[in-house]
Amino acid sequence: MMGAAVSVESLKLRRSLVGVITTCALLVGTVVVLAGITFGVAQQRSDLVTKLGSAARLDWAGLVPAATQIISVGSLLGFGVMLAWMFGREFGDGTITGLFALPISRGRIALAKLAVYALWTGAVGLILALGVLCLGLAFGYGSPAEGVWAGLVRLWVLMVLTGFIAIPVAWTATVCGSVLAGVGCTVGLVVIAQVTALLGVGGWMPVAAPALWAMSDGSAVTVAQLGLVVVFALVFAVLTAVSWDRLQLRR
Amino acid sequence: MLEFAAVGHRFRSGAGVTDLSFAVHPGEVVALIGLNGAGKTTLMRLGLGMLRPQAGEVRLFGRPLHRLPSSAFTGVGALVDVPLAYPELTAEENLRLSSRLHGGTPAQVAEALETWRLTALADRRFRRLSSGNRQRVGLAAAMQHDPRMIVLDEPSNALDPASVILLREQLLRRARAGAAVLVSSHHLDEVARIADRVLLMNAGRLIGGLDTAGPDLERAFFARLRADDESRTSEETP
Repeated sequence: MMGAAVSVESLKLRRSLVGVITTCALLVGTVVVLAGITFGVAQQRSDLVTKLGSAARLDWAGLVPAATQIISVGSLLGFGVMLAWMFGREFGDGTITGLFALPISRGRIALAKLAVYALWTGAVGLILALGVLCLGLAFGYGSPAEGVWAGLVRLWVLMVLTGFIAIPVAWTATVCGSVLAGVGCTVGLVVIAQVTALLGVGGWMPVAAPALWAMSDGSAVTVAQLGLVVVFALVFAVLTAVSWDRLQLRR
Repeated sequence: MLEFAAVGHRFRSGAGVTDLSFAVHPGEVVALIGLNGAGKTTLMRLGLGMLRPQAGEVRLFGRPLHRLPSSAFTGVGALVDVPLAYPELTAEENLRLSSRLHGGTPAQVAEALETWRLTALADRRFRRLSSGNRQRVGLAAAMQHDPRMIVLDEPSNALDPASVILLREQLLRRARAGAAVLVSSHHLDEVARIADRVLLMNAGRLIGGLDTAGPDLERAFFARLRADDESRTSEETP
Protein backbone atom coordinates (compact mmCIF):
# COMPACT_ATOMS: atom_id res chain seq x y z
CA MET A 1 0.00 0.00 0.00
CA MET A 2 2.95 2.34 0.56
CA GLY A 3 3.71 2.11 -3.16
CA ALA A 4 0.13 3.11 -3.95
CA ALA A 5 0.38 6.14 -1.63
CA VAL A 6 3.67 7.24 -3.21
CA SER A 7 2.23 6.89 -6.70
CA VAL A 8 -0.91 8.83 -5.72
CA GLU A 9 1.10 11.65 -4.13
CA SER A 10 3.39 11.77 -7.13
CA LEU A 11 0.40 12.12 -9.49
CA LYS A 12 -1.06 14.92 -7.35
CA LEU A 13 2.26 16.80 -7.37
CA ARG A 14 2.82 16.41 -11.11
CA ARG A 15 -0.68 17.56 -12.02
CA SER A 16 -1.00 20.46 -9.63
CA LEU A 17 -0.63 24.09 -10.61
CA VAL A 18 1.27 24.79 -7.37
CA GLY A 19 3.74 22.01 -8.18
CA VAL A 20 4.33 23.24 -11.72
CA ILE A 21 4.61 26.93 -10.75
CA THR A 22 6.95 26.27 -7.81
CA THR A 23 9.19 24.05 -9.93
CA CYS A 24 9.31 26.62 -12.73
CA ALA A 25 9.89 29.48 -10.30
CA LEU A 26 12.85 27.67 -8.75
CA LEU A 27 14.39 26.54 -12.04
CA VAL A 28 13.63 29.39 -14.44
CA GLY A 29 13.72 32.06 -11.73
CA THR A 30 17.20 31.10 -10.56
CA VAL A 31 18.61 30.86 -14.09
CA VAL A 32 17.05 34.20 -15.11
CA VAL A 33 18.36 35.95 -11.97
CA LEU A 34 21.84 34.48 -12.56
CA ALA A 35 21.79 35.60 -16.19
CA GLY A 36 20.71 39.09 -15.03
CA ILE A 37 23.51 39.23 -12.46
CA THR A 38 26.05 38.15 -15.06
CA PHE A 39 24.77 40.82 -17.42
CA GLY A 40 25.04 43.43 -14.62
CA VAL A 41 28.62 42.41 -13.79
CA ALA A 42 29.52 42.52 -17.49
CA GLN A 43 28.12 46.07 -17.57
CA GLN A 44 30.30 46.92 -14.53
CA ARG A 45 27.34 48.13 -12.43
CA SER A 46 29.13 49.26 -9.30
CA ASP A 47 26.21 48.69 -6.85
CA LEU A 48 25.84 45.09 -7.98
CA VAL A 49 29.58 44.43 -8.03
CA THR A 50 29.86 45.73 -4.43
CA LYS A 51 27.00 43.53 -3.22
CA LEU A 52 28.34 40.41 -4.93
CA GLY A 53 31.85 40.86 -3.51
CA SER A 54 34.13 38.03 -4.57
CA ALA A 55 31.34 36.55 -6.71
CA ALA A 56 31.39 39.57 -9.03
CA ARG A 57 33.43 37.79 -11.70
CA LEU A 58 32.70 36.65 -15.21
CA ASP A 59 33.89 33.07 -14.78
CA TRP A 60 32.99 29.87 -12.97
CA ALA A 61 34.36 31.28 -9.69
CA GLY A 62 31.74 34.03 -9.93
CA LEU A 63 28.82 32.01 -11.27
CA VAL A 64 28.79 29.07 -8.82
CA PRO A 65 28.98 31.18 -5.60
CA ALA A 66 26.30 33.53 -6.94
CA ALA A 67 24.07 30.52 -7.69
CA THR A 68 24.72 29.18 -4.19
CA GLN A 69 23.69 32.48 -2.59
CA ILE A 70 20.46 32.71 -4.59
CA ILE A 71 19.55 29.06 -4.10
CA SER A 72 20.19 29.04 -0.34
CA VAL A 73 17.29 31.44 0.28
CA GLY A 74 15.18 30.87 -2.82
CA SER A 75 15.01 27.10 -2.45
CA LEU A 76 14.02 27.30 1.24
CA LEU A 77 11.12 29.55 0.27
CA GLY A 78 10.13 27.37 -2.69
CA PHE A 79 10.40 24.09 -0.78
CA GLY A 80 8.48 25.52 2.17
CA VAL A 81 5.65 26.66 -0.08
CA MET A 82 5.52 23.22 -1.68
CA LEU A 83 5.35 21.43 1.69
CA ALA A 84 2.75 23.89 3.02
CA TRP A 85 0.60 23.11 0.00
CA MET A 86 1.16 19.32 -0.03
CA PHE A 87 0.12 18.94 3.60
CA GLY A 88 -2.17 21.93 4.18
CA ARG A 89 -4.27 21.48 1.04
CA GLU A 90 -5.86 18.29 2.37
CA PHE A 91 -7.42 20.41 5.11
CA GLY A 92 -8.24 23.38 2.89
CA ASP A 93 -9.82 21.21 0.17
CA GLY A 94 -11.52 19.02 2.79
CA THR A 95 -10.04 15.86 1.23
CA ILE A 96 -8.57 14.91 4.60
CA THR A 97 -11.91 13.22 5.45
CA GLY A 98 -11.36 10.81 2.55
CA LEU A 99 -7.94 9.86 3.93
CA PHE A 100 -9.53 8.20 6.97
CA ALA A 101 -10.82 4.60 7.02
CA LEU A 102 -8.33 3.52 4.34
CA PRO A 103 -6.22 0.34 4.32
CA ILE A 104 -3.16 2.57 4.59
CA SER A 105 -2.56 4.57 7.74
CA ARG A 106 -2.45 8.34 7.57
CA GLY A 107 1.08 8.25 9.02
CA ARG A 108 2.19 6.28 5.97
CA ILE A 109 0.37 8.70 3.68
CA ALA A 110 2.33 11.53 5.34
CA LEU A 111 5.58 9.58 4.82
CA ALA A 112 4.60 8.99 1.19
CA LYS A 113 4.14 12.75 0.79
CA LEU A 114 7.58 13.34 2.30
CA ALA A 115 9.14 10.66 0.06
CA VAL A 116 7.68 12.29 -3.06
CA TYR A 117 8.78 15.69 -1.78
CA ALA A 118 12.33 14.40 -1.18
CA LEU A 119 12.48 12.95 -4.71
CA TRP A 120 11.20 16.24 -6.09
CA THR A 121 13.80 18.33 -4.21
CA GLY A 122 16.55 15.97 -5.42
CA ALA A 123 15.34 16.25 -9.01
CA VAL A 124 14.95 20.04 -8.87
CA GLY A 125 18.44 20.29 -7.34
CA LEU A 126 19.93 18.15 -10.07
CA ILE A 127 18.23 20.07 -12.88
CA LEU A 128 19.25 23.39 -11.32
CA ALA A 129 22.89 22.31 -10.96
CA LEU A 130 22.83 21.22 -14.62
CA GLY A 131 21.16 24.54 -15.49
CA VAL A 132 24.02 26.45 -13.84
CA LEU A 133 26.48 24.28 -15.75
CA CYS A 134 24.73 25.03 -19.05
CA LEU A 135 24.63 28.74 -18.19
CA GLY A 136 28.40 28.79 -17.56
CA LEU A 137 29.06 26.96 -20.81
CA ALA A 138 26.73 29.35 -22.66
CA PHE A 139 28.60 32.33 -21.18
CA GLY A 140 31.83 30.87 -22.59
CA TYR A 141 33.46 30.05 -19.24
CA GLY A 142 35.01 26.96 -20.80
CA SER A 143 35.25 23.42 -19.54
CA PRO A 144 34.73 23.33 -15.76
CA ALA A 145 37.77 22.53 -13.64
CA GLU A 146 37.64 20.00 -10.81
CA GLY A 147 36.80 22.68 -8.23
CA VAL A 148 33.84 23.82 -10.32
CA TRP A 149 32.44 20.30 -10.49
CA ALA A 150 32.76 20.10 -6.69
CA GLY A 151 30.90 23.42 -6.43
CA LEU A 152 28.09 22.12 -8.64
CA VAL A 153 27.80 18.95 -6.56
CA ARG A 154 27.68 21.14 -3.42
CA LEU A 155 24.90 23.11 -5.10
CA TRP A 156 22.88 19.91 -5.50
CA VAL A 157 23.61 18.79 -1.92
CA LEU A 158 22.59 22.27 -0.72
CA MET A 159 19.20 21.81 -2.41
CA VAL A 160 18.74 18.37 -0.85
CA LEU A 161 19.71 19.61 2.63
CA THR A 162 17.52 22.70 2.23
CA GLY A 163 14.69 20.29 1.42
CA PHE A 164 15.42 18.61 4.77
CA ILE A 165 15.37 21.80 6.84
CA ALA A 166 11.99 22.81 5.39
CA ILE A 167 10.24 19.72 6.83
CA PRO A 168 8.95 21.58 9.95
CA VAL A 169 6.61 23.30 7.47
CA ALA A 170 4.85 19.95 6.89
CA TRP A 171 4.34 19.52 10.62
CA THR A 172 3.07 23.10 11.08
CA ALA A 173 0.63 22.82 8.15
CA THR A 174 -0.66 19.56 9.68
CA VAL A 175 -1.04 20.76 13.25
CA CYS A 176 -2.69 24.02 12.15
CA GLY A 177 -4.59 22.36 9.28
CA SER A 178 -3.72 25.25 7.01
CA VAL A 179 -1.59 26.06 3.95
CA LEU A 180 -1.08 29.61 5.16
CA ALA A 181 0.29 28.43 8.52
CA GLY A 182 2.84 26.40 6.57
CA VAL A 183 3.78 29.44 4.50
CA GLY A 184 4.16 31.43 7.74
CA CYS A 185 6.46 28.72 9.08
CA THR A 186 8.52 28.96 5.88
CA VAL A 187 9.02 32.69 6.38
CA GLY A 188 9.96 31.97 10.01
CA LEU A 189 12.58 29.43 8.93
CA VAL A 190 14.13 31.91 6.47
CA VAL A 191 14.30 34.58 9.19
CA ILE A 192 15.84 32.15 11.72
CA ALA A 193 18.41 31.01 9.15
CA GLN A 194 19.43 34.59 8.34
CA VAL A 195 19.57 35.80 11.95
CA THR A 196 21.53 32.80 13.28
CA ALA A 197 23.99 33.08 10.38
CA LEU A 198 24.51 36.76 11.24
CA LEU A 199 24.98 35.92 14.94
CA GLY A 200 27.64 33.37 14.04
CA VAL A 201 25.89 30.30 15.49
CA GLY A 202 24.80 29.04 12.09
CA GLY A 203 26.84 25.84 12.05
CA TRP A 204 24.98 24.38 15.01
CA MET A 205 21.64 25.72 13.80
CA PRO A 206 20.32 23.12 11.34
CA VAL A 207 18.23 25.71 9.52
CA ALA A 208 21.31 27.80 8.68
CA ALA A 209 23.98 25.10 8.35
CA PRO A 210 23.41 23.96 4.71
CA ALA A 211 23.76 27.47 3.26
CA LEU A 212 26.83 28.25 5.41
CA TRP A 213 28.37 24.94 4.35
CA ALA A 214 27.78 25.53 0.64
CA MET A 215 28.82 29.20 0.67
CA SER A 216 32.07 28.45 2.53
CA ASP A 217 32.97 25.67 0.06
CA GLY A 218 32.40 23.21 2.87
CA SER A 219 34.87 24.76 5.33
CA ALA A 220 32.60 26.57 7.83
CA VAL A 221 30.43 23.61 8.84
CA THR A 222 31.58 20.28 10.28
CA VAL A 223 30.25 16.84 9.37
CA ALA A 224 28.66 16.60 12.84
CA GLN A 225 26.83 19.86 12.22
CA LEU A 226 25.59 18.57 8.87
CA GLY A 227 24.56 15.35 10.62
CA LEU A 228 22.44 17.48 12.92
CA VAL A 229 20.55 18.71 9.82
CA VAL A 230 19.59 15.10 9.03
CA VAL A 231 18.53 14.46 12.64
CA PHE A 232 16.49 17.69 12.61
CA ALA A 233 14.73 16.56 9.43
CA LEU A 234 14.06 13.05 10.79
CA VAL A 235 12.60 14.44 14.03
CA PHE A 236 10.14 16.64 12.15
CA ALA A 237 9.33 13.88 9.65
CA VAL A 238 8.43 11.56 12.54
CA LEU A 239 6.47 14.34 14.28
CA THR A 240 4.53 14.92 11.05
CA ALA A 241 3.76 11.21 10.57
CA VAL A 242 2.67 10.83 14.20
CA SER A 243 0.47 13.94 13.93
CA TRP A 244 -1.20 12.45 10.85
CA ASP A 245 -1.71 9.14 12.61
CA ARG A 246 -3.27 10.77 15.68
CA LEU A 247 -5.31 13.27 13.72
CA GLN A 248 -8.88 13.98 14.76
CA LEU A 249 -11.34 16.14 12.82
CA ARG A 250 -12.84 18.38 15.47
CA ARG A 251 -14.84 20.57 13.06
CA MET B 1 -20.74 -4.92 11.33
CA LEU B 2 -20.65 -1.44 12.93
CA GLU B 3 -21.56 -1.08 16.60
CA PHE B 4 -21.72 1.93 18.89
CA ALA B 5 -21.82 1.24 22.64
CA ALA B 6 -22.62 4.30 24.79
CA VAL B 7 -20.39 6.47 22.61
CA GLY B 8 -19.94 10.13 23.46
CA HIS B 9 -17.79 12.99 22.28
CA ARG B 10 -18.09 16.62 23.34
CA PHE B 11 -16.41 19.54 21.60
CA ARG B 12 -15.04 22.53 23.48
CA SER B 13 -18.05 24.56 22.29
CA GLY B 14 -20.30 22.20 24.27
CA ALA B 15 -21.82 20.64 21.15
CA GLY B 16 -21.30 16.96 20.43
CA VAL B 17 -22.97 13.60 20.87
CA THR B 18 -23.87 11.58 23.97
CA ASP B 19 -24.64 7.97 24.78
CA LEU B 20 -24.94 6.69 21.21
CA SER B 21 -25.79 2.98 21.10
CA PHE B 22 -26.86 1.17 17.96
CA ALA B 23 -25.61 -1.34 15.41
CA VAL B 24 -25.73 -1.75 11.65
CA HIS B 25 -25.85 -5.38 10.54
CA PRO B 26 -24.86 -7.02 7.24
CA GLY B 27 -27.52 -6.67 4.57
CA GLU B 28 -29.19 -3.79 6.37
CA VAL B 29 -29.69 -0.14 5.39
CA VAL B 30 -29.90 2.10 8.43
CA ALA B 31 -30.81 5.73 7.89
CA LEU B 32 -30.00 8.52 10.25
CA ILE B 33 -32.24 11.54 10.20
CA GLY B 34 -32.23 14.75 12.17
CA LEU B 35 -32.09 18.50 11.77
CA ASN B 36 -28.88 20.36 10.96
CA GLY B 37 -26.56 20.26 13.96
CA ALA B 38 -28.23 17.18 15.46
CA GLY B 39 -24.88 15.33 15.43
CA LYS B 40 -25.27 13.04 12.39
CA THR B 41 -21.91 13.93 10.87
CA THR B 42 -20.20 13.68 14.27
CA LEU B 43 -21.66 10.18 14.66
CA MET B 44 -20.33 9.19 11.26
CA ARG B 45 -16.91 10.67 12.01
CA LEU B 46 -16.80 8.58 15.19
CA GLY B 47 -17.74 5.50 13.18
CA LEU B 48 -14.89 6.06 10.73
CA GLY B 49 -12.19 6.99 13.25
CA MET B 50 -12.11 10.68 12.34
CA LEU B 51 -12.90 11.35 15.98
CA ARG B 52 -12.05 9.18 18.99
CA PRO B 53 -14.82 8.55 21.51
CA GLN B 54 -14.40 10.23 24.89
CA ALA B 55 -16.86 7.68 26.27
CA GLY B 56 -17.96 4.24 25.11
CA GLU B 57 -16.61 2.19 22.25
CA VAL B 58 -17.02 1.90 18.48
CA ARG B 59 -16.60 -1.59 17.02
CA LEU B 60 -16.18 -2.38 13.34
CA PHE B 61 -16.11 -5.91 11.91
CA GLY B 62 -16.34 -7.16 15.51
CA ARG B 63 -13.23 -5.38 16.80
CA PRO B 64 -12.69 -2.07 18.57
CA LEU B 65 -12.08 0.54 15.90
CA HIS B 66 -8.77 1.70 17.41
CA ARG B 67 -7.43 -1.88 17.32
CA LEU B 68 -8.57 -2.65 13.80
CA PRO B 69 -5.61 -3.34 11.47
CA SER B 70 -5.33 -0.94 8.54
CA SER B 71 -5.87 -3.78 6.06
CA ALA B 72 -9.43 -4.28 7.36
CA PHE B 73 -10.40 -0.91 5.92
CA THR B 74 -10.39 -2.35 2.38
CA GLY B 75 -13.92 -3.35 3.39
CA VAL B 76 -15.06 0.21 4.13
CA GLY B 77 -16.41 2.81 1.72
CA ALA B 78 -17.33 6.27 2.96
CA LEU B 79 -18.31 9.72 1.80
CA VAL B 80 -18.45 12.26 4.61
CA ASP B 81 -18.38 16.02 3.96
CA VAL B 82 -16.18 16.12 0.84
CA PRO B 83 -15.42 13.43 -1.78
CA LEU B 84 -11.90 12.01 -1.92
CA ALA B 85 -11.23 13.83 -5.20
CA TYR B 86 -8.70 16.45 -6.20
CA PRO B 87 -9.64 19.39 -8.43
CA GLU B 88 -6.56 19.16 -10.67
CA LEU B 89 -7.23 15.52 -11.60
CA THR B 90 -9.83 14.19 -14.01
CA ALA B 91 -12.84 12.17 -12.86
CA GLU B 92 -11.16 8.95 -14.01
CA GLU B 93 -7.83 9.82 -12.38
CA ASN B 94 -9.63 10.53 -9.13
CA LEU B 95 -11.40 7.18 -9.27
CA ARG B 96 -8.10 5.42 -10.01
CA LEU B 97 -6.50 7.25 -7.09
CA SER B 98 -9.28 6.26 -4.73
CA SER B 99 -9.21 2.67 -6.00
CA ARG B 100 -5.47 2.38 -5.33
CA LEU B 101 -5.83 3.78 -1.83
CA HIS B 102 -8.70 1.36 -1.11
CA GLY B 103 -6.81 -1.63 -2.49
CA GLY B 104 -9.17 -1.93 -5.48
CA THR B 105 -8.47 -3.04 -9.06
CA PRO B 106 -8.27 -1.00 -12.32
CA ALA B 107 -11.21 -2.97 -13.74
CA GLN B 108 -13.41 -1.62 -10.95
CA VAL B 109 -12.72 1.95 -12.11
CA ALA B 110 -14.05 1.31 -15.62
CA GLU B 111 -17.08 -0.40 -14.12
CA ALA B 112 -17.69 2.49 -11.72
CA LEU B 113 -17.51 5.05 -14.53
CA GLU B 114 -20.19 3.15 -16.38
CA THR B 115 -22.36 2.40 -13.36
CA TRP B 116 -22.39 6.01 -12.20
CA ARG B 117 -22.84 7.34 -15.79
CA LEU B 118 -19.54 9.16 -15.71
CA THR B 119 -17.97 7.72 -18.87
CA ALA B 120 -18.58 10.90 -20.89
CA LEU B 121 -17.01 12.96 -18.10
CA ALA B 122 -14.06 10.64 -17.45
CA ASP B 123 -11.46 13.01 -18.92
CA ARG B 124 -12.91 16.17 -17.41
CA ARG B 125 -11.09 17.71 -14.48
CA PHE B 126 -12.94 17.43 -11.21
CA ARG B 127 -12.91 21.21 -10.71
CA ARG B 128 -14.85 21.63 -13.95
CA LEU B 129 -17.66 19.26 -12.98
CA SER B 130 -21.04 20.42 -11.72
CA SER B 131 -21.73 19.81 -8.02
CA GLY B 132 -24.06 16.91 -8.89
CA ASN B 133 -21.42 15.25 -11.05
CA ARG B 134 -18.82 15.79 -8.33
CA GLN B 135 -21.11 14.03 -5.90
CA ARG B 136 -21.46 11.10 -8.30
CA VAL B 137 -17.65 10.88 -8.57
CA GLY B 138 -17.50 10.88 -4.77
CA LEU B 139 -20.11 8.13 -4.50
CA ALA B 140 -18.35 6.06 -7.16
CA ALA B 141 -15.03 6.53 -5.32
CA ALA B 142 -16.63 5.42 -2.06
CA MET B 143 -18.25 2.27 -3.45
CA GLN B 144 -16.26 1.09 -6.49
CA HIS B 145 -14.12 -1.30 -4.42
CA ASP B 146 -17.24 -3.15 -3.29
CA PRO B 147 -17.06 -2.41 0.46
CA ARG B 148 -18.84 -4.50 3.11
CA MET B 149 -19.51 -1.40 5.23
CA ILE B 150 -20.80 1.75 3.54
CA VAL B 151 -21.09 5.07 5.38
CA LEU B 152 -22.56 8.01 3.46
CA ASP B 153 -23.35 11.45 4.85
CA GLU B 154 -26.15 13.16 2.90
CA PRO B 155 -25.33 11.20 -0.28
CA SER B 156 -28.21 12.62 -2.32
CA ASN B 157 -26.93 16.20 -1.92
CA ALA B 158 -26.86 18.00 -5.28
CA LEU B 159 -27.98 14.89 -7.18
CA ASP B 160 -30.58 15.17 -9.93
CA PRO B 161 -33.64 12.85 -9.75
CA ALA B 162 -32.05 10.27 -12.09
CA SER B 163 -28.95 10.13 -9.93
CA VAL B 164 -31.05 9.81 -6.77
CA ILE B 165 -32.69 6.72 -8.29
CA LEU B 166 -29.25 5.41 -9.28
CA LEU B 167 -27.99 5.90 -5.73
CA ARG B 168 -31.05 4.14 -4.30
CA GLU B 169 -30.58 1.17 -6.65
CA GLN B 170 -26.90 0.94 -5.79
CA LEU B 171 -27.48 0.98 -2.05
CA LEU B 172 -30.27 -1.59 -2.20
CA ARG B 173 -28.26 -3.84 -4.51
CA ARG B 174 -25.22 -3.70 -2.24
CA ALA B 175 -27.32 -4.32 0.87
CA ARG B 176 -28.89 -7.35 -0.84
CA ALA B 177 -25.35 -8.57 -1.53
CA GLY B 178 -24.63 -8.42 2.22
CA ALA B 179 -23.18 -4.94 2.76
CA ALA B 180 -24.12 -2.93 5.83
CA VAL B 181 -25.17 0.61 4.94
CA LEU B 182 -25.36 3.64 7.22
CA VAL B 183 -26.70 6.73 5.50
CA SER B 184 -27.80 10.14 6.74
CA SER B 185 -30.39 12.20 4.96
CA HIS B 186 -32.78 15.14 5.19
CA HIS B 187 -35.12 13.59 2.67
CA LEU B 188 -37.71 11.60 4.60
CA ASP B 189 -39.41 10.18 1.50
CA GLU B 190 -36.10 8.98 0.13
CA VAL B 191 -35.17 7.42 3.44
CA ALA B 192 -38.53 5.65 3.61
CA ARG B 193 -37.82 4.05 0.25
CA ILE B 194 -34.44 2.52 1.08
CA ALA B 195 -34.02 2.13 4.83
CA ASP B 196 -34.75 -1.02 6.81
CA ARG B 197 -34.53 1.09 9.95
CA VAL B 198 -34.61 4.83 10.53
CA LEU B 199 -32.87 6.30 13.55
CA LEU B 200 -33.86 9.73 14.79
CA MET B 201 -31.20 12.05 16.11
CA ASN B 202 -31.79 15.20 18.10
CA ALA B 203 -29.45 17.44 20.11
CA GLY B 204 -26.58 14.94 19.94
CA ARG B 205 -28.57 11.88 21.02
CA LEU B 206 -30.36 9.01 19.32
CA ILE B 207 -34.00 9.30 20.35
CA GLY B 208 -35.33 6.08 18.83
CA GLY B 209 -36.67 4.88 15.51
CA LEU B 210 -39.22 6.25 13.08
CA ASP B 211 -41.88 4.07 11.50
CA THR B 212 -41.56 4.77 7.78
CA ALA B 213 -44.81 2.93 7.01
CA GLY B 214 -46.86 5.67 8.69
CA PRO B 215 -49.08 8.01 6.62
CA ASP B 216 -47.38 11.36 7.31
CA LEU B 217 -43.67 11.00 7.88
CA GLU B 218 -42.96 14.72 8.24
CA ARG B 219 -45.61 15.15 10.91
CA ALA B 220 -44.36 12.11 12.81
CA PHE B 221 -40.75 13.33 12.51
CA PHE B 222 -41.42 16.79 13.92
CA ALA B 223 -43.74 15.42 16.62
CA ARG B 224 -40.92 13.18 17.86
CA LEU B 225 -38.42 16.02 17.86
CA ARG B 226 -40.85 18.33 19.69
CA ALA B 227 -41.58 15.68 22.29
CA ASP B 228 -37.86 15.13 22.83
CA ASP B 229 -37.17 18.87 23.14
CA GLU B 230 -40.00 19.23 25.68
CA SER B 231 -38.81 16.21 27.63
CA ARG B 232 -35.26 17.61 27.85
CA THR B 233 -36.53 21.05 28.84
CA SER B 234 -38.61 19.59 31.66
CA GLU B 235 -35.62 17.51 32.85
CA GLU B 236 -33.35 20.56 32.87
CA THR B 237 -35.88 22.75 34.69
CA PRO B 238 -35.52 22.32 38.47
